[in-house]
Amino acid sequence: MEITREIFWNIGNVRILIYLLGLVPIIVLAFGLWRKIKLWKIGKKENRYDQIWKRIKTTLYYGILQVRTLEKKYPGIMHLLLFWGFVILFLGTLLIAFQEDVTLPFFNFNFFHGGFYLSYSFLLDLFGLLAIVGVLLALYRRIFLRPESLDNKSDDFFALYWFLVVLVTGYIVEGLRIAATKPDFERWSFAGWQLASWISFLNLSTDSLKTLHRINWWIHALLSFGFIGYLVYSKFLHIFSSPLSIYFRTFDPIGMIRPIPDLENQETFGVSKLEEFTWKDLLDTDACTKCGRCQDNCPAWQSSKPLSPKKVILDMKNHLVEKGGLLLQKKQLSPEKNLIGDVILEDELWACTTCGACMRVCPVLIEHIPKIVEMRRNLVLMQSRFPSEVSLFFKNLENNYNPWAIGFATRADWAKDLKVRLFSENKDIEYLYYVGCAGSFDERAKKISRALVNILNQTGVNFGILGTEEFCCGDHARRIGNEYLAQILIQQNIETFKKYNIKKVIVSCPHGYNIFKNEYPLSGYNLEVIHHSELIYDLIKKGKVSLGRTLDTPVTYHDSCYLGRYNEMYETPRRILKALCSDLKEMERSRYQGFCCGAGGGRMWMEEKLGVRINQMRVEQAQKTGAGIIATACPYCLTMLSDGIKEKEIKNLQAYDLAELVELSLHK
Amino acid sequence: MNIAVCLKQVPDTETKIVLNSDSTDIVTEGIKWVMNPYDEYAVEEALKIKEKYGGKVTILCLGQERSVEAIRTALAMGADDAILLNDPAFEGSDSYTTALVLSKALSQIEYDIILTGKQAVDLDCSQVFAGLAEFLSLPYVSIVVGLELFPDQKKALAKRETEGGEKELIEVTLPAVFACQKDLNTPRYASLPGIMKAKKKEIKKLGLAELCLNPEHVGAKGSKLKKGKYSLPPQRKAGIKIEGEIPEAAAKLVKLLREEAKII
Amino acid sequence: MPGIWILAEHKEGKFKKITYELLSLGKKLKSKSGEELCALLLGSGIENLANQLGPYGADKVYYLEDEVYKSYLNESYTQGISELVKSQDPSILLAGATALGKDLFPRVAARLGTGLGTDCTSIDLDNNLLKITRPIYAGKVLMEATIPQTKPQMAMLRPNLIEISPVDSSKKAEVIKSKANPKKEDLRTMLKEILKGESKKIDLTEAKIIVSGGRGMKDKENFRILEELADAFGEGTAVGASRAAVDSGFAPHDIQVGQTGKVVNPTLYIACGISGSIQHLAGMSTSKYIVAINKDPEAPIFQKADYGIVGDLFQVVPLLTQEVKKLKSEG
Repeated sequence: MEITREIFWNIGNVRILIYLLGLVPIIVLAFGLWRKIKLWKIGKKENRYDQIWKRIKTTLYYGILQVRTLEKKYPGIMHLLLFWGFVILFLGTLLIAFQEDVTLPFFNFNFFHGGFYLSYSFLLDLFGLLAIVGVLLALYRRIFLRPESLDNKSDDFFALYWFLVVLVTGYIVEGLRIAATKPDFERWSFAGWQLASWISFLNLSTDSLKTLHRINWWIHALLSFGFIGYLVYSKFLHIFSSPLSIYFRTFDPIGMIRPIPDLENQETFGVSKLEEFTWKDLLDTDACTKCGRCQDNCPAWQSSKPLSPKKVILDMKNHLVEKGGLLLQKKQLSPEKNLIGDVILEDELWACTTCGACMRVCPVLIEHIPKIVEMRRNLVLMQSRFPSEVSLFFKNLENNYNPWAIGFATRADWAKDLKVRLFSENKDIEYLYYVGCAGSFDERAKKISRALVNILNQTGVNFGILGTEEFCCGDHARRIGNEYLAQILIQQNIETFKKYNIKKVIVSCPHGYNIFKNEYPLSGYNLEVIHHSELIYDLIKKGKVSLGRTLDTPVTYHDSCYLGRYNEMYETPRRILKALCSDLKEMERSRYQGFCCGAGGGRMWMEEKLGVRINQMRVEQAQKTGAGIIATACPYCLTMLSDGIKEKEIKNLQAYDLAELVELSLHK
Repeated sequence: MNIAVCLKQVPDTETKIVLNSDSTDIVTEGIKWVMNPYDEYAVEEALKIKEKYGGKVTILCLGQERSVEAIRTALAMGADDAILLNDPAFEGSDSYTTALVLSKALSQIEYDIILTGKQAVDLDCSQVFAGLAEFLSLPYVSIVVGLELFPDQKKALAKRETEGGEKELIEVTLPAVFACQKDLNTPRYASLPGIMKAKKKEIKKLGLAELCLNPEHVGAKGSKLKKGKYSLPPQRKAGIKIEGEIPEAAAKLVKLLREEAKII
Repeated sequence: MPGIWILAEHKEGKFKKITYELLSLGKKLKSKSGEELCALLLGSGIENLANQLGPYGADKVYYLEDEVYKSYLNESYTQGISELVKSQDPSILLAGATALGKDLFPRVAARLGTGLGTDCTSIDLDNNLLKITRPIYAGKVLMEATIPQTKPQMAMLRPNLIEISPVDSSKKAEVIKSKANPKKEDLRTMLKEILKGESKKIDLTEAKIIVSGGRGMKDKENFRILEELADAFGEGTAVGASRAAVDSGFAPHDIQVGQTGKVVNPTLYIACGISGSIQHLAGMSTSKYIVAINKDPEAPIFQKADYGIVGDLFQVVPLLTQEVKKLKSEG
């Protein structure tokens, strides 16, 4: 017997019919996709069409290798099984069609036989089984494990069951065929072979088998076609939209907020309507697979605030479905629904700490933070609607260039009795130490500045400060949405940098670090930015600083969002700590999963009225490690954690900055 | 309703004050100039009245050219028109001549109500509102923490803060002058489109000639209160930690509060 | 006619302390210029009060009596005082920088076309020219001034600065009664109602002395000891709280002092169990005197305090209350 199988065996001459039938789901699919694309294009223009090769590579990395998805083992492996099962089966089917419609008629080339056929059959049987395992794992997770991240809607189950039935009927068809024709080589289709041997126990006649086969074949065919058509209208849309959202991703570092260009000549600011988002923003809403990882890692959601990044994206998606169609017909929603206020609540927008966890764990690279900041921009710049305590924050920045109502003329007072040079009075200074607002005015943070200055002086680093010429870096103002104020501060700083031709900057605050490194270049000034932990580590490596093991209590390191996730600096601070203590513990949520202290996104300046205190949650997490010291690399984290310790009245836990810990060791 | 608001540009309250070499004034370089905080309440109240009853808000400001910045802040918040009263002859004005010039300018426009802050936080004189009322022959209420209007009856009901937590409800006929106190309202934050529009708005400039004033009656020449020397109050001494056992320390503290601080 | 005139303030049948302070100041000025010291009294049916001013130093008391002066209105008082002043032409006219004075005198000065120094911390006479000193820039600078060209030279004295000189009970003042002119119908303002504040509680922003509690208070009930201390100081005191205390539920938000609460400017601020975060300092740093009581000697509040006690506030505060009460009863 020839090692092959007849296409459409036992079914008859249905090729034309099948193709016609098959055209239906394809048209439905195409129409559905086209409609989706039209909806996305309601959004504004954005150029994500460059760097083609880089984009292809990233799509392979995140879409095929699924590196992010695998960060959670169970769902990652489950998805891999489903994914490859579907892909292999689909490609397999395409391959046969390719032979039937292209190679055979035009080139008289038939490859579906012999060794090729056996390998093909084996592979498909294997991956089909893996796909079934995947579906069962998924169902088990939804029905029994019930993680909070998943909302189990009917569509979720329907989609899984449909897929399962398609897979199972496929095996039944194969089993019945093998049972009826019994070719020995079909052992290679091991699953079908096994199924066939079970069917044989039923002792059915060949005719009955053939009838059953025919029936099942049609069921399988119709269900499969139906499935193809259903794809775009179910959560399986992500098959198309997720690779797109990965391909058209931003290459900006996480959390980077771009300035509003040409501010003076704009008429509207920020986003208050769906159509003011970019097409990529709207595509993001359809790329979401509702996996819930963003929510799982969101400090706002985990502390019972109304904000869930997943909800924001899905609410936008529903709004797009509702309003998009009408917009395309040039009609309006009636009654009108406001994006901010009806679809997404203001409280949700203000609860965001911009920690970036959502963006870091999202398997399909959705950009949550820029959307939230754009809506904040509208609230602040167009509507002047923001928590009332923020207006004081704005006023202080405007009048005294720092968030507290402290006269700007006293900005350098912290350094009065220290050996610190001013740029205005000295030439030939190599590094600017940008102290920042916290380091200049906050009593606790001033200790960090002093410690760092001592370290710099003891190691002979050639540095100076700007003193009263230093203005707030603009980070918090920008995150809250007051782009106008942020740009005023940024431009003023840039003028000063230009004046002294500053090339290198040392910072002890990750907010300054992040904005100088990633955003100031967009406003016209490039700097080499060094976080003080990098500097200290460098000094250790060069032998300029030798540290003894000084800390006899376990230490745990709190990753600052703007240093860690934003700029991927996780190890340098840890290396310093390992040199200082013998017992460095890790909190459950650390490195890219680090839990925010709660101060980011301008939340430092807002009252925390809802839910549980984020900083207290973090302090509890630190306590669990048994550490006696929480080490930080950010003055705001230090303030939040110190406050948390005091609020919870924890006796044997203290928070210190790396600079302080290193300085202690120097003195010994 | 036509609402006129008189405002002044002053140094930010956190400014480090340095006296000039002959102690006749403060050094004005390096100062951050802002709208007098009490005038912000006046501007906000004016805007609220306009939103409720319709009409126009006109800003008047006696000051140097740089005061335009403060005026623009008011325009950004939503004021309609603005007049800057600027002339070398106006320099060195005391409360009397300030009120004189402002009231001359006011008499050239239409107003149903005049609002201003209760005092300017530079010289803290707290007198201009009364001068405005006197020269325009209007009634006034000072230290207003609440204001209700009855435009059809040409009346207003103002809540005035007195002492010891007491307040007075004063009924007054309109037009009238109201000196606004802190917490009368919450001044709005200007929207960015508002700020942009304000940058392009024209600010009318009036000087001596346009106001038909005699140079002898204005500025330093016409001032009734003549400024003398400026001096700095004795520096706040460094704090001391009171030593000793708690009962002694407590007694010592109370003694110090009586003798040094003269509080008890 | 020369004369040093002072405006006598009274309430509910008694003179306010400022009246005696003004007379004491007047006596000092009189000793330099030799002019007679007169008191201005406006009201209705308070003749008995007019007779009480002689012992404090008044030579004459001009008593303007009319139903219309029963309650204070700047319109009616301005009218009465200005007409009298125009007819008698004193050289100096003083009042207290009180709520009434600050509301009234600016108008009187404008009507009389003369200069006025408001809120003066010192008033003196030099060659019959009034020399005043007044704080400006929120007290960061002191400014001297004179009123050289017009009469009367007007000034307002800040309360609680002048010691009241000894009383001479034998001295009697000549009381000159006059009927006033303003008719009630001509007035454009009318006092409709006086809203009394909550018995003892005055607004934080008005308080002269604030006793404030922080996280160290540990409980809502413990704020009682702060209220007792505040009460011991007497009138014009209030209790405040830091944000930490409010967040922990120890105190309501409306007494929160700080950047996101109330900004206060008392003469004395006593911070109990408050660490002194920057946000809190932003709300009270302009206090004239700051006292800090805290267990932690490193607490940042000690950097800003004039006087500090490192100790347990639950011990210190009640003792302070005791001491204050003792001192006050001694007089």
